[in-house]
Amino acid sequence: MKQIKIFGLGGQGVVTAAKVFAKAVALGEGRNALSIPAYGHERRGAPVYSDLILDDEPIKLRSFVYEPDVVIIFDLSVLDKGVDVMKGASSDTLFIVNAESLPAHLPFAGHPVRFVDAEKISLEELGRYIPNTTMLGAAAGAGLCGLEAMNEAIRTGFGAAWEANVKSAGRGYHELRGR
Amino acid sequence: MAKRVMLDGNEAASEALRLARIKVVSAYPVTPQTPISEKLADYVADGSLQAKYIRVESEHTAMAAAIGAQLTGVRAATATSSIGLALMHEICGAAAGLRIPIVMPVVNRSLAAPWSLWCDHQDAMVERDQGWMQLYAENCQEVLDLILIAYRTTEQNDVLLPVMVCLDGFFLSHTTEAIMLPEQAEVDAYLPPYINKNLRLDPDDPMFINALCPTSEFSEMRYQQQIGMKNAMRALPASMAEFAAQFGRSYDLIEAYRTDDAEAVLIGLGTMCGTMKYVVDKYRAAGRKVGMVKILSYRPFPVERLCAALENVPNIGVLDRSAGLGNIGGPVCTDVRAALSTYLPGRSASSFLAGLAGRDITPGTVSRAFDLLLAGEKFSKTFWMDTNTDAALTMRTAPATSAGQKEVL
Repeated sequence: MKQIKIFGLGGQGVVTAAKVFAKAVALGEGRNALSIPAYGHERRGAPVYSDLILDDEPIKLRSFVYEPDVVIIFDLSVLDKGVDVMKGASSDTLFIVNAESLPAHLPFAGHPVRFVDAEKISLEELGRYIPNTTMLGAAAGAGLCGLEAMNEAIRTGFGAAWEANVKSAGRGYHELRGR
Repeated sequence: MAKRVMLDGNEAASEALRLARIKVVSAYPVTPQTPISEKLADYVADGSLQAKYIRVESEHTAMAAAIGAQLTGVRAATATSSIGLALMHEICGAAAGLRIPIVMPVVNRSLAAPWSLWCDHQDAMVERDQGWMQLYAENCQEVLDLILIAYRTTEQNDVLLPVMVCLDGFFLSHTTEAIMLPEQAEVDAYLPPYINKNLRLDPDDPMFINALCPTSEFSEMRYQQQIGMKNAMRALPASMAEFAAQFGRSYDLIEAYRTDDAEAVLIGLGTMCGTMKYVVDKYRAAGRKVGMVKILSYRPFPVERLCAALENVPNIGVLDRSAGLGNIGGPVCTDVRAALSTYLPGRSASSFLAGLAGRDITPGTVSRAFDLLLAGEKFSKTFWMDTNTDAALTMRTAPATSAGQKEVL
């Protein structure tokens, strides 16, 4: 079982990303996945999160994620907005981050970290700063799901914009750096 | 062939109603049920559901319209949550007393005040004694399956009780997972066309239904409803067996999970049951003997089955998701205690409360309850888990000299 938390800002497609990710794993790979969105007083630009559970076995657990195996951060500004992205993380917890480079002062610097410049990629591919599909590609690049399954879920989940989003995911997959 | 598709609980409920070939929809949107109202409207608009969609002005009318429509001999559907269900309350009693086999998804949400959008079971508990069957789903597949099973059960002439299929708000309604979506032909084979053999309204030959009932007949009519519940207790497992034969998925009135040699068992409804099973597996792997019982059918309440599952369990706890104010246990716990004292004299159950207004029932919550039960702790009065009871005792008082207060005075 992999328990995943996705942090980002309202408008960045956090909830959509979790749903697409779950679809890729469940339908594309025949495994099991739950996307568990946290609905609250959402507004554009405010910190939001969505949880995801992936497993080869049927998933019995029906709660939010408290001890994440993976933390995906769509926008590092959530740290300045008081979000504790380290909550429940262990020394093995993998962080996948939207960043051009990784400053050493970040709280997860001692953890396994992968990063990709999803802001740049999404601006280039979509013309707007919506990092979700680039980060889904990055998650695939980190081995959480096959890229083909992820692309198929994106193809069926983004209407007319699917092509640019598949391209973003591909770049997220290939341009992922870190250890 | 059934297809494996990605759906959330609201979508699963909408698909089930479409597969049941409902002919009338009268729904009013309310969080977190709104996507059901919207989805059914989409189906009617795109022609994939041949039904009349009545845009009502309230849930009170939604249920009244569904009753009227169903009395003409079609399946009529509505769905609601929380305050919507509360506004429907009066007409819910009419549906039950008129023996209208309406199947209604109820997306569980707390009741105001305090105002909240999130999940607990208060809304459905308020309706518990209205003469509706209540089934609680653990996952999105169960939402779809239980709606079909509910139709199959309640449309039998010796049952005819409306059914609430309860799904936890957000934890099911907005959580997506892959489920098996049956084909229309498979559902048609399981669910024959609805034939209204009881009261029937014909606009060309009007009649008055639900006039004043004299005292001399009221008790007998109530008694008939109780007979319907008794028959449902037999019809529901039969419908579930037929469902398993048709679709390959098995259900039962209750599900006893790893209870055989258990030293402690927790009992629950809805999504919390999945988390309980997850914790049971972890405890069993560590050699700690715990189990859980899911109550799938809360009304009718399968007391004998429940007590048979609990016969050899020394420590029993019930986790309620609504407060049961003014009593020493939550509503489910109180029911379990009544069953135990009747069938297993001398036995009782501890009362735990958690998960109000979307407060998560976590593996930690469930573990704490198991640890207390394994330690032999008894809670005859409700133990409010995950609740800051000290803070709750601090009364916030308004400043006596504030200008606002003077104006009011």
